[in-house]
Amino acid sequence: MKIPRLLQAVLILAGVYFGFIVVFDVLLDAVIPSSLLAMYMFFVTAGVFMVFTYDEDQTRELVAPIKAMVEDPSKRVWRNTVFVIVPLVVGVGTYQQMQPSFQAPVELRTIHPAPPTTAMIYGKRVKLLELENPFRKLEKEDPEQFGELVNEGAVVYIENCQFCHGDKLDGKGPYAAGLNPTPLNFQDVGTIAQLQESYLFWRISTGGPGLPKEAAPWISSMPVWQDFLEEDEIWKVILFLYDYTGHRPRSWEHE
Amino acid sequence: MGGGLVNSIFMSALTAGLIALSHGPVLAKSGDAEKGEGIYQKRCLQCHGEEGDGLGPAAERLNPPPRDFTLGLYKIQSSAFDADLPNDEDLFRMISDGMPGTAMPGWSDLLSEQDIWDVIATVKAFAELEGEPERQVDYGTQVKSSPESIAAGKKLFLADDQCSECHGVEGKGDAIKKLKNDNGERTWPRNLTKPWTFRASNDPKDIFTRITVGIPTTQMPSFADPKSKKKLSIEERWHVANYVASLAKTEKTVRSDNTVIQAARIEGELPASPDDPVWDSAPPSTFFMVPQIVGKERFFKAANDTISVRSLYTDKMIALHLEWDDRTKSIPGDDKARTIADEELTEDAIAVQFPMKISAGMEKPYFLMGDAAKPVNLWRWSSGTTQMPESVSILDAMGINDQQARDGDGGLSAKGAYKDGTWRVVLTRSRKTETTDKDLQFEEGRFIPIAFFAWDGSNSEAGSRHAMSTWYWLLLKPSTGAKPMIVAIVVALLIGGILVWWGRSATARREGMTP
Repeated sequence: MKIPRLLQAVLILAGVYFGFIVVFDVLLDAVIPSSLLAMYMFFVTAGVFMVFTYDEDQTRELVAPIKAMVEDPSKRVWRNTVFVIVPLVVGVGTYQQMQPSFQAPVELRTIHPAPPTTAMIYGKRVKLLELENPFRKLEKEDPEQFGELVNEGAVVYIENCQFCHGDKLDGKGPYAAGLNPTPLNFQDVGTIAQLQESYLFWRISTGGPGLPKEAAPWISSMPVWQDFLEEDEIWKVILFLYDYTGHRPRSWEHE
Repeated sequence: MGGGLVNSIFMSALTAGLIALSHGPVLAKSGDAEKGEGIYQKRCLQCHGEEGDGLGPAAERLNPPPRDFTLGLYKIQSSAFDADLPNDEDLFRMISDGMPGTAMPGWSDLLSEQDIWDVIATVKAFAELEGEPERQVDYGTQVKSSPESIAAGKKLFLADDQCSECHGVEGKGDAIKKLKNDNGERTWPRNLTKPWTFRASNDPKDIFTRITVGIPTTQMPSFADPKSKKKLSIEERWHVANYVASLAKTEKTVRSDNTVIQAARIEGELPASPDDPVWDSAPPSTFFMVPQIVGKERFFKAANDTISVRSLYTDKMIALHLEWDDRTKSIPGDDKARTIADEELTEDAIAVQFPMKISAGMEKPYFLMGDAAKPVNLWRWSSGTTQMPESVSILDAMGINDQQARDGDGGLSAKGAYKDGTWRVVLTRSRKTETTDKDLQFEEGRFIPIAFFAWDGSNSEAGSRHAMSTWYWLLLKPSTGAKPMIVAIVVALLIGGILVWWGRSATARREGMTP
């Protein structure tokens, strides 16, 4: 059986629409913004229209059912129904569009802002480019001592960090649900694996208030750890973060 | 959006499938304690300690404290109340799914099933637990939940104060006595209206199991113990389980997508009493609160975990209705209140934080009491003592170390009421003030940053020891008037007119062609 061309066009559009939703919202779990979806669908509709009206015969075939509905005396009931429903649907749609939206404003925020060249840490002006983890070299030189330092870092972590970043370092600690922005997930390959140890040292020691403006320092719940921890403790906890997750810090040597 | 619906149906089907998988019968396998030892060293020792005694370095700051494995007793036990040990499946469940409301996460994504069995062998060795329990919980025939069963359960719950003695008349765990666990640590009866804090779940079967076995190491007894005065039959326990499951306050569950308190405009006077039925017309927004661990003296064991907020306004005034569960009404000077309190008894208090001024961009004051560049107002209410009535004050803050209480009430009025484990407080102020440089002016249609602080006096919370939230939004919903309705009708008529004209002209054309 041949599907009428108008129905074909409608089916294609519906297929593309639900295709977007299945791929983005369900499979990728990244809900597609309705404005973006509207834009995509505009282009798709334009494309389908162009293909379906390629020549005159095709165009005639496409609009034939519509023409018949409007003109054919035998389709009177059908016509009257459509003439009532379409204005109603448009009216209700207009009404809903005009209702003000009470959605919270979107707050854009840079998660890993570019670090400053220098920062005040522990009362000293530190050049971040030259900063290195003083314990990192022990990884090769003295693995046993290095292992002990990692364990000491683990203790610092569990006493201070797990409440938000979680026992599993996955950003899902017991307080995480109450925070916005949510704590960073260190297991994710997009976080500490992309950063240098000096960057972590800067982020940990100066905390939320040490962030530049584009990173919205006023909402970050990250404490200013230089107020609570020793410098060495921060370096040790950094060793632990990499050891536990199996990630490697980025360094100049590899690049 | 349609996609949201499709998505949520898909996700709930998926979740249901996963739950069915994870809660299906897990067949116990023998684990290798030596292999488990390595995993224990890496994943468990920091909380549960090298000797398995729950005295790892984190123990002091965790609430509840980590389990002491040397006792061999576990909160989730599905073997009979008088069995010597839990089922291995109970241990598997606790490790795999974690313990909601505690620092114990579910490990199923980092550990394989065999890993978990190995760790179980290690953990059991701390208490020299061996073999299988001799007796299991007898579930009889499950009584399905129904209004009759729930009513029967409620009767049993309240009868002779069997359950309400600790869990309170409304099940909010509003204690009348100080409870301790076997290690002498303070414990609190569960607030049964907050199912997300249940260590197992609020599925009636899980609740039935807890009622039947009790919760080992706590003062929650077994209601199947024939020697106990509190014995209930199997059927009666199902009724109670169904009743407890029905207590979940779904409208006061935190929804992470709900970050806006929508204040509706009303005519006449704002309801000053927190129990005024007018408040029921305003939908509550519920937010999580977390302990204050960012500044000054950090505090890890705050008692309050959520707050529900409603708001209404008139042309002149704005009122906020704050509601939060608190197991104790803390009144310094009151003997009964002091016997329940931990250490020092202080007043219960709540504060609402607003920026003094709303910035043009997205910038806000620092969420913990503002900063030097962007000060905040805190509207603070305190419950009062036996000597002093409830009071209200305005603090101007530029950070946790820089707070200034204003003289007088700053035009703010408040009324609080405590009943059955819940505080309800209404704060009212005029929308505009004369001191525009120090007070936020409440304009319609504007998104206003708002945050919350809570102090539980029975938990020695005062000063920087408190629970707090991050920034959320308050919106005074502008009345839209008749405009959308009028425009919608005009558009509909216009479209209808065009269609009719089209139909008419087509008919006329056809008739013109066929004379």
